[in-house]
Amino acid sequence: MLLPRILAPIRAATKASPSFVPSSRVLDTLRNVNSANSSPTLSFIRNATSLSQGRANGAKDGPGKRLGAKKTGGEYVIPGNIIFRQRGTTWFPGENCGMGRDHCIFAKQPGYVRYYRDPRKHPTRQYIGITFTKDETLPYPPNAPRRRRLGLVPVIRESVPELQTAEAGAETGLPAAPTNAAGSTLLVGKKGYAFREANWDIGRAAERAGVKVREFVPGDRFRAWRKSKARKEANAEKKRLRGATKAGKKPQKKRRGPGGR
Amino acid sequence: MASVNPSIRTCLRCVKQTANANASLSVSGARFLSTTAPVSQEAAAQTQENPFEKWGPLDPALVDNKRDERRLIRKEGVMPIGSRRRRAALRTSAQIPFEQLPYQAFQEARKILLEDRQEKIKQIETQKLRLANLLKQDPAVSGGEEAKEVRVKSMQDHIRELIILADINDPIVKKKFEDGEGDMEKPIYRYLADKKWRQYKKLILDQRIEQFHIVPDLLPSLDPVADVDLAFGRRKINPGEFVDSCISESMPRLKVQVFDKGEKLVTVVVVDADVPVPEKDSFTTRCQFIASNIPISPTQTFIPLNRLDPKPKGSEEAAPKHIALPWLAPWAHKGAPYRRLAVFVLEQNGANALDIAALEKTKREHFNLRGFIHKQKLKPIGVTLFRTQWDENMAGVMQRAGLADQVKIEFKQKKIDPLPYKRRTERMR
Repeated sequence: MLLPRILAPIRAATKASPSFVPSSRVLDTLRNVNSANSSPTLSFIRNATSLSQGRANGAKDGPGKRLGAKKTGGEYVIPGNIIFRQRGTTWFPGENCGMGRDHCIFAKQPGYVRYYRDPRKHPTRQYIGITFTKDETLPYPPNAPRRRRLGLVPVIRESVPELQTAEAGAETGLPAAPTNAAGSTLLVGKKGYAFREANWDIGRAAERAGVKVREFVPGDRFRAWRKSKARKEANAEKKRLRGATKAGKKPQKKRRGPGGR
Repeated sequence: MASVNPSIRTCLRCVKQTANANASLSVSGARFLSTTAPVSQEAAAQTQENPFEKWGPLDPALVDNKRDERRLIRKEGVMPIGSRRRRAALRTSAQIPFEQLPYQAFQEARKILLEDRQEKIKQIETQKLRLANLLKQDPAVSGGEEAKEVRVKSMQDHIRELIILADINDPIVKKKFEDGEGDMEKPIYRYLADKKWRQYKKLILDQRIEQFHIVPDLLPSLDPVADVDLAFGRRKINPGEFVDSCISESMPRLKVQVFDKGEKLVTVVVVDADVPVPEKDSFTTRCQFIASNIPISPTQTFIPLNRLDPKPKGSEEAAPKHIALPWLAPWAHKGAPYRRLAVFVLEQNGANALDIAALEKTKREHFNLRGFIHKQKLKPIGVTLFRTQWDENMAGVMQRAGLADQVKIEFKQKKIDPLPYKRRTERMR
């Protein structure tokens, strides 16, 4: 039933072409007939989508960045010495080492450089560490106390503030805190050098100055109206002044056109 | 108190108030045509007589405003139960016991839970019987001594688990535990308390132990199984907190909650892990305190270190029963790094008492906790820590501790010599 419809284009083609079609060209004829736009010529030209030469693909052979080990294993380093420069974390900081923001490994303690692995910490990472003595190896045995260096020296202070006796009250090693004009002690700031009054002291300032506030009378509507009126007027005045400054500034800020200098 | 009928309570309050009113009336008669001075005197006398009379009896389960809570805590020393929202809800609700609550679904659910409980109890009985039979059995029949032991242990574990499962779904148990009324002698409450501790406090403690390197520095490994709370006076100290030197001058008190059955003897050791040794350019440890033979149990949790060996009133010195090394106030030099002070609660082997006189010979300096634990056959069950550093009160503390010569010493950064300059080719060699 479908056969006549399928064969219809063939029939049309054979009818259209008066000449005889050899059996080897039958398929071509069919293809021509079935294609939506049966163009007589087919041309496939593919243009390049990206540049193949010049700087377009990035300069591959730039200057070297001088990466790599700056200190060898066993070399003596002091704090701040860079041990390894790298892109990414090829090496990780181990004992007494730190990592910079460009992933460089630097020393935090004076000692001897060790390149090592620590499978208990991480199975695949490689670490750079520093030992305090020449013969030590890393990693340290597990669960052993950490080896730590004090890095400080005791100095005898010349000016030790005199201690108050226990009866006098709280004992402090610091000199007496400074006082303000009113005679109350000033608080020591967070850093220890800036002084300011305590908040409770500031709150009492009006009392000391003898400032009297008129007593609030509930239900005194006349006074309330006067106060609110004064407040509104003050606000309006403020707003007006603000508006004036804006208006005054505007002409100065006027932009020049693109043509003007 | 919760079971007191509200109407009765109000009645009581009325009676008390009227009694007060009467008293004031009778006194006011005497005060007729007098100056104002006696009024204050009278008020003072009244407050001295009975400070609670003004607000009547307060129920810790029902107080629902801040003022009453404060009164309850300050004057009667009782903490209110549960949240304020809960207390307010309880106050307004008719307090019907669970069995009589008029909710059908709830009652049906309770029936299911009760059935489950009965089932569990039956299982426990059969398991106990089986265990008894196994214990009677000849080891040769049950496949050797070792195999029998393993079986006995696993059966005991199973019974323990069943005991927990029998009670875990009981709403009354849940309520009692949340109200803090749980009896720690019972396994279910111990189980719930342990679970609660492990959910938050233990995690924090584990983190602190790791962060402050308590584990490799003082002990090779540590798995705390008891909840230890540290407080100086009324101030609670979270693990790792900085404590002011004048506060830590006196002994702390400990609350050690164990979650397993039975009474045990413990030793409390306080170790300073960061004592600087400038000669060697390193650190060492110092023992600040040792007290031994302190009995604790799930219900007996409080260890006030300052009241362990109360000093007799007379001049004669009684031999200390618990404290081997008295409290040494934690101190730090100016400029030195902070000190970590770890408080260890160590279980004594088989509840055997240690010899205090022998412990007194322990050296404070270079104290080796690992060796001490090994020698005395102890087992660490709980730990907490605090930190101390130089502060404004430290000089006074040091002077009182007899370290006046140390006050003057300050630690400064050591200067490290720069590496000598070498040419590149020289460095390569």
